[in-house]
Amino acid sequence: MQLPDSQVAVLEAASATEDRTIERLSEATGLKPETVTGAAFDLETEGLVEVSTDETVSHQVTDEGETYAEVGLPEVRLYRAARAAGADNDAVPMGQVIDAADLDGPEVDIALANYARKGYGDIDSGQVTADPDTDPDADPEAAALASLCPGDDEAQRPPSSQSEADDADALDRLVRRGLVDRTERAVRSVTLTDAGVTALMEGVETAETIDRLTPELLASGEWRDAEFSAYNVEADAPAERGGSVHILRQTADRVKETLVGMGFREMGGPHADSEFWINDCLFMPQDHPARTHWDQFALDVPPMESIPDDLLDRVRSAHLEGVGEDGDGYHSPWTEAVAREVDLRGHTTSLSMRYLSGTEIGDLDPPERFFSVEKVYRNDTLDPTHLLEFFQIEGWVMAENLSVRDLMGTFEEFYRQFGITDLEFKPHYNPYTEPSFELFGTHPETGELIEIGNSGMFREEVLRPLGVECDVMAWGLALERLLMLMYGFDDIRDVHGTLCDLDLLRNTEVLH
Amino acid sequence: MPVVDVDPDELRRLTGHDEKSDEELKTDLFALGLEFEGETEDGLLQLEFGPDRLDRLSVEGVARSLRYQYGDDRGVYVPNTNDADWTIVVEESVPDERPCVTGAVIRGVDLDDDALDSLIQLQEKLHATMGRKRAKGAIGIHDLTMLKGAAYDPEGDGGPAGNSITYRGVAPDGDRFVPLDADREMTPAAVLADHPTGETYASLVGAYDRYPAIYDEIGLFSFPPVINGRRTEVSTDSRNLFVELTGTDQWTIDRMCNVICYALDARGATIEEVGVDYPDGRLVRPDFEVETKTVTHDRIESMLGIDLDVEETVDLFERSGLDAVPDETDGTYEVSIPPYRTDVIHPLDLIDDVGRAYGFNDLDPRYPDVATVGSRHDRSKLESAARTRLVGLGFEDLLNFHMISEPENYDRMGLTAGTGAYGGDPPVTITEPYSEDYTMLRTWALPSLLMVLENNTHRTYPQDLAEVGLAAYADDDENTGVAERRTVAAALARHDATYENAKSRLAALCRGFGVDLVTPATDHPTFIDGRVADVVIDGETVGVIGEIHPRVLVEHDLDLPVVAFEFRLDALA
Repeated sequence: MQLPDSQVAVLEAASATEDRTIERLSEATGLKPETVTGAAFDLETEGLVEVSTDETVSHQVTDEGETYAEVGLPEVRLYRAARAAGADNDAVPMGQVIDAADLDGPEVDIALANYARKGYGDIDSGQVTADPDTDPDADPEAAALASLCPGDDEAQRPPSSQSEADDADALDRLVRRGLVDRTERAVRSVTLTDAGVTALMEGVETAETIDRLTPELLASGEWRDAEFSAYNVEADAPAERGGSVHILRQTADRVKETLVGMGFREMGGPHADSEFWINDCLFMPQDHPARTHWDQFALDVPPMESIPDDLLDRVRSAHLEGVGEDGDGYHSPWTEAVAREVDLRGHTTSLSMRYLSGTEIGDLDPPERFFSVEKVYRNDTLDPTHLLEFFQIEGWVMAENLSVRDLMGTFEEFYRQFGITDLEFKPHYNPYTEPSFELFGTHPETGELIEIGNSGMFREEVLRPLGVECDVMAWGLALERLLMLMYGFDDIRDVHGTLCDLDLLRNTEVLH
Repeated sequence: MPVVDVDPDELRRLTGHDEKSDEELKTDLFALGLEFEGETEDGLLQLEFGPDRLDRLSVEGVARSLRYQYGDDRGVYVPNTNDADWTIVVEESVPDERPCVTGAVIRGVDLDDDALDSLIQLQEKLHATMGRKRAKGAIGIHDLTMLKGAAYDPEGDGGPAGNSITYRGVAPDGDRFVPLDADREMTPAAVLADHPTGETYASLVGAYDRYPAIYDEIGLFSFPPVINGRRTEVSTDSRNLFVELTGTDQWTIDRMCNVICYALDARGATIEEVGVDYPDGRLVRPDFEVETKTVTHDRIESMLGIDLDVEETVDLFERSGLDAVPDETDGTYEVSIPPYRTDVIHPLDLIDDVGRAYGFNDLDPRYPDVATVGSRHDRSKLESAARTRLVGLGFEDLLNFHMISEPENYDRMGLTAGTGAYGGDPPVTITEPYSEDYTMLRTWALPSLLMVLENNTHRTYPQDLAEVGLAAYADDDENTGVAERRTVAAALARHDATYENAKSRLAALCRGFGVDLVTPATDHPTFIDGRVADVVIDGETVGVIGEIHPRVLVEHDLDLPVVAFEFRLDALA
């Protein structure tokens, strides 16, 4: 029979005729007691030994207990002093008795409490009386305490069976008074079974323990007789990082997943585009304050050559003459030269314009839903919540007879996916939508009302020049805003751009 | 967006609603689209709103809107006007760039400090919005009693004579006047050069041959759009005002004038017309003509998604300060629009008013009963797939700016613009860069990764970084003049990094996408000679791989080796 070495040692040290304690086996084998215990239980499972357990109780007198064993329990000392002062006849002032008993500090309270409990007498209004029938020498607690103190003759006296119960009570009391510590301990002992004796007689060999499982062990089958050495499985392991998808990309993916699930198709298109697609199609007047170079990045490239002529004419007409019989247009100048200038897009609505015009993927028939989560560029002041580049979530629905209620229902559904409920719609103004709404929602953590997007129904001055005859509702918001809401980041610069903090990216909680 | 400071006590007084608490007012204002932003030191409410309802740029205008909302006022209101006594005569010398002028006389104003502050605020806010920082329209308000008009017979028929002032062009170093906030006479040119306000607005007229100026019998008293003369300065003692506006567009300045007239009318003043005599004809201003537009009942119902009866709809129009006359035969309304409205350019704008009066937040949201099929864009799917594979290979996915500086993109990488090396394409530059850190679009992404390494030398190594993102270069063949491409960049910064580490990861990435990779030796100034190769995928050279040159590492304060690769994403498609 092959057994691990610790089991072999315990088996050989155990006896069939005598219970041997773990402690004794530990001494005999030179193994740690916990190793012996583990081996003993393993051997018991194999039926080679029996493990028996004795619960033993031992008592140890505390420092305080030893003091009282020497000078007497405080209440006994108080009684003796009271008797000496004649309190068995007349009440005596307490202070006088305490002084006489030489009690000090906490001993006074201890003495008074136990004096009354044991019926030594009464303490009332600072006066002490003593019961003349009490025998302080027969106090069971004093006796029990004395019996535990070595060197005391009485300790050797075997307790009479009559007094055992009293002694147990007195001992409990001493434990509660903190004069004696009680330790309860299971002592395990091991005895060889018949099978164990037989195994020893037949011979027991030590099996190897294995640190690492190797291909050779597996191939040879040696693992069958192997004992695997135990690791400290609670110990820390070296840090492992792996890679992770950027947190803003993860957030974008979640938005994309949500929108695709709601039936939206994703758009793509140029980052550098003409003012025509970025602003003019959107019915932004050319003298609009947001169209100055202070707000957008103009690029040093030639003007855009190819813009469909008929579309250009219709957009110009919308700006200057309006759309429909009662449309007025703007009282602002409009030139083709401005329309052909190329900028970095300040919003991804340029993509929406390209798709709606039919130039991107052909004419669209309602119903359609489209979205994008793409970068936009704005000449903004850099601060913890604003960068020159950020992601805009843009979405729109094209259908016959859409109403403001459909717009509200769509947004409620979208924002609910991100834990934002109780939307409020603040009437707002955009040059390109009417009606327009700023969207407000309740912050999932703080409960504040916060702005979470801008929305509206595209104006006829936007849609008709593009050739769209039905309704289109649209909305947009910054992805970073959603990210900061979901993660509670307070500085977007730690995340986006070359000043990012690698540790922040490495340690950000996984989104799901 | 415009912010207007409003005294809540004035608001209560002007609306006649003393019982409204500040909180109730804020809620009522939010429903109008005016958002409470905070309070000034003096306890005024700062209200932000969209730049459509510019008639709300004063406490008087906000109060008028509230009175409509509360149902205290209904329908279109037009102030009475008295006949013109004064005329602005426009001379041929007026600069071509700023041909338009308009105005009004206001009598019987009672300007306490609050009212004067409100008027000045309204003037400034109108300048900032409709006036396009005074370029399109500028307002001058004068104490009428300080003006000495020339006798003028508008009809030229010997009838009752009135007073006139003239709008004309003046030589930059022509007539002198004492401008506001000055104590000496200055020529217009001196004002632009030496006066603080003049310096601010010098760019508006500096290039003109002749500067715009307004004269009375005494002389030059206004230098629009820059500054008024001190002689006619308005104070709390002023009782009669002359309002003049000049600009590039008659409609715009007429509407700005109307907004001011309505605000002063709300304080009990009387509006008096002013003649504007252009060389080719006479206008009488302010123009309080009420325009009309036709709105169909069906469109109102379909836009709001609710059923309304005609009576209810007319009521909602009237509570918006509009009048509506229904035509039951064709289901339309003829809607009258008061002359202070600057935002109604289509019937849909009137439907928006109906919605606001109804209360958009009282509408019941519904999910549109419209089925469509969603999907991702092909390029976006490819980007995600590449990113996922890189992360699986242990790279930390990064997101950097597309804008960069030329030194970062080229010089610090040891690269020269316009060379054939990967990343050496000609730059797309930003015309008026905001910051010297962002002057062009990056032609490749490795400079961004090196910058991230440079900024994270205090973080533990290895640092294996990757980015899938945009790069761009100037290309006249593109309609936009910009060739945009998606690029895949990766860098391994580790104490024992070798070319092999980069190659093995690039090979794994290519295997994952089922494309063939070979890496023939090449030259590239960013990398160590002999340890750099072209990335050739399916026979096409699409990128570069190698060990970064120590010169580039030292330039980025890196004290350990970095190996890297970058190539065009579409090679994986």
